[in-house]
Amino acid sequence: MDRVTPPPARSGQLRSEAVSRIRLLQLGSVALLLGSWEAVARLGWVDPLFVPAPSAVASAFFRVGALAMAGLGDTLAKTAVAYVISVVLGVGGGLVLGSIRPVRQAVNPFVIALYGMPKILVLPWIVLLLGFGTLPAVVYGAIHGVFPILVLVTGAVRDVDHTLLMVGRAFGARRRQLYWKVVLPAIVPTVLTGMRLGIVFCLLGVLIVEMFAGVRGMGHVLGSLANGFQAPELFAATALVSTASIVIVLSLDALNDRLSHWRGDTR
Amino acid sequence: MSDLIVVDGVDKRYATSSGPVDALRGVSLGVGAGEFCTLIGPSGCGKSTLLGMLGGLVTPDAGRVLVDGRPVNGPDPRRAATVFQEAGLFPWRTTVENIEFGLELQGVARERRRIVATELLGPLGLRDFAGKYPRELSGGMRQRVAIGRALAIDTPIVLMDEPFGALDEQTRLLMGEWLLDIWRRTRKTVVFVTHSLQEALALSTRVIVMTARPGRIKSVVELPLPYPRAMESAELVALRAKLWSEIREESLRAMGEV
Amino acid sequence: MSVALIRVVIVAVALGAWEVFGRLGNPLLYVPPSAALPALGRLLTLQSYPELGEHLLLTLREIAVAYALAIAAGIGVGAALGLNRVVGRTYGPILAALYAVPAVVWYPSLMLFFGLDAASKIAFGFLLGFFPIALAVLAGIRQVNAQLVIVARAFGASGITVFRKVMLPAMLFTLVGGLRTGLALTVIGVIVGEVLGAKAGMGSLINHAYGLFRTADYVALVVVTLLLIVASDAVAGVVEQRARRWTE
Repeated sequence: MDRVTPPPARSGQLRSEAVSRIRLLQLGSVALLLGSWEAVARLGWVDPLFVPAPSAVASAFFRVGALAMAGLGDTLAKTAVAYVISVVLGVGGGLVLGSIRPVRQAVNPFVIALYGMPKILVLPWIVLLLGFGTLPAVVYGAIHGVFPILVLVTGAVRDVDHTLLMVGRAFGARRRQLYWKVVLPAIVPTVLTGMRLGIVFCLLGVLIVEMFAGVRGMGHVLGSLANGFQAPELFAATALVSTASIVIVLSLDALNDRLSHWRGDTR
Repeated sequence: MSDLIVVDGVDKRYATSSGPVDALRGVSLGVGAGEFCTLIGPSGCGKSTLLGMLGGLVTPDAGRVLVDGRPVNGPDPRRAATVFQEAGLFPWRTTVENIEFGLELQGVARERRRIVATELLGPLGLRDFAGKYPRELSGGMRQRVAIGRALAIDTPIVLMDEPFGALDEQTRLLMGEWLLDIWRRTRKTVVFVTHSLQEALALSTRVIVMTARPGRIKSVVELPLPYPRAMESAELVALRAKLWSEIREESLRAMGEV
Repeated sequence: MSVALIRVVIVAVALGAWEVFGRLGNPLLYVPPSAALPALGRLLTLQSYPELGEHLLLTLREIAVAYALAIAAGIGVGAALGLNRVVGRTYGPILAALYAVPAVVWYPSLMLFFGLDAASKIAFGFLLGFFPIALAVLAGIRQVNAQLVIVARAFGASGITVFRKVMLPAMLFTLVGGLRTGLALTVIGVIVGEVLGAKAGMGSLINHAYGLFRTADYVALVVVTLLLIVASDAVAGVVEQRARRWTE
């Protein structure tokens, strides 16, 4: 190893210094952005009807808070249901497609095609079929979320290290044991990645339906606020749902890291 | 005394993109209990295939394989354990968990398997690495875990397919010494595939030389010599020369094919 | 049985099932292929929607403008983040965090600001296409062999020259992949925007047909829009192939 590098304690300190410097820059940039935005708004350079000042948005939090939280809760509930469906179908389907070569080869192009197809095109039909409200949102959210998971898990199952499978067989594993003890643990990192993608897709799908044909939920709330030209409230609600989404994704990332610690630094 | 392992006239053919290829043709041999039997030969001579047949992972197209008088028709973890060239450790399992794998498959209770695996750590030289993951272990350590996994199920036969092939020379030599020690203590029957003449001479009680593809048995050489082997002794020097001339002949033949 | 044959069988069975169930079901909801095809014909001969051409052109224009903006901003931001380590480490995580937000969340704000016209669709399409491009540029720069840059600098090349003559060719493959994804997402963004609320464009026509229960026309419009999307991705695919051959 390079003799010139400083001893561990000091390099650790250097690293955390660098990290806090970055944090400072980030916070500083955000503050600068908010500050100049506030100034621009107060100077009247933008129409407050379309671009409200951050201070107006902040006070709008209190006015719209309850409504937004209720909407968010509703959306997240639907997303959770859609998510469970997506994960079950995606992982289950991926296990089947990944293990059974003839089925995979026959069906894969269709899966890829459906994955790439913008689901928005079938949304009106789903709403025609299922009406307004919760059911189409859950169904559409599930449709959105299932594909990335399905595609990722199929690939992971197909690519399980053959040596590991051979080891399993050599030590007498029966088919069920091979799946439980070799295949499933091996695909955990990919499943987690898929699940992380899936939640964003599910949430996206639910929000779209709520905007298109919703009576409740964050999408509907955002849509109504926009229609009513309530800019500060709209921005506040948008900030709320954005934060919630970021928190969810970051939590899943942290979970992912903890569960994959045996893999080392690679994610 | 009849042999523990009997191979009787086996053939194996593989279908490849350039037509069918005979990996083995008419191979017959016997391995007695307690032997350390090495299979050696040029690349592609089918020694791994043959080992696979002993382990029940490969089915012969003709002929049969008997272990303890009974035909082999699938992997039997009560009869034989296999160690592969790539250690094949499960990256999500610690050392101890990897060693226990075979016991786990057999439904052995958790406490019991933990005890067995932990007891093996000493002889394996891995006592300080019980809770480590494969990525934290060196190549030599990983192979020791793989060997530990094979030993844990306490089978009469241990099959090893070039287990030290991916290691550097120093590590190979040390691992060979270590393996010998384990074998002499456990008195298992070992069938060992290798490229290395040095390993064959240092470790085995019997060396089987295979021909180039399609693989057959070229010759069988007994080595009833004491351990540790004095590699410079007259006997071993002569044996080395003899074995090398045979292997060389087959290697040239194998290369000519390509 | 060959794989291709199985696929053909699957398609045939699917079409057959669609036909059978389509006929049995409520005609307002279920349109079998036998009804969809004539509707497609009526659409393409401009009988059902005479202004189809204008709408199609509008959608294409929105996509083009949005994509151009996404490329410009994507390359600019990606380069800024990738070339300067401090900038990259500071704002990279912010970019990644924003990417974690489902884009449709921004749409009502865009509609409020830009109105229902093309501008909000362009803005939304831009937003969707921008991220993959910026991230691809960032990733591409990070993966460029540092040695190449050192050599170029040793020969006296300035920052911009280094970017143009050394980095761009080296990261072309990653970049083109990002551009292709960006196009796909921009197209989706524009269409989603139109469906969710627009007065013109293919999405608005789809919405219109759906609203009036003209389900057969709706199916026809979906088919045409799908063809548009497939065509645009095919073109992008060809460009990607060319670029791949170039970098090899």
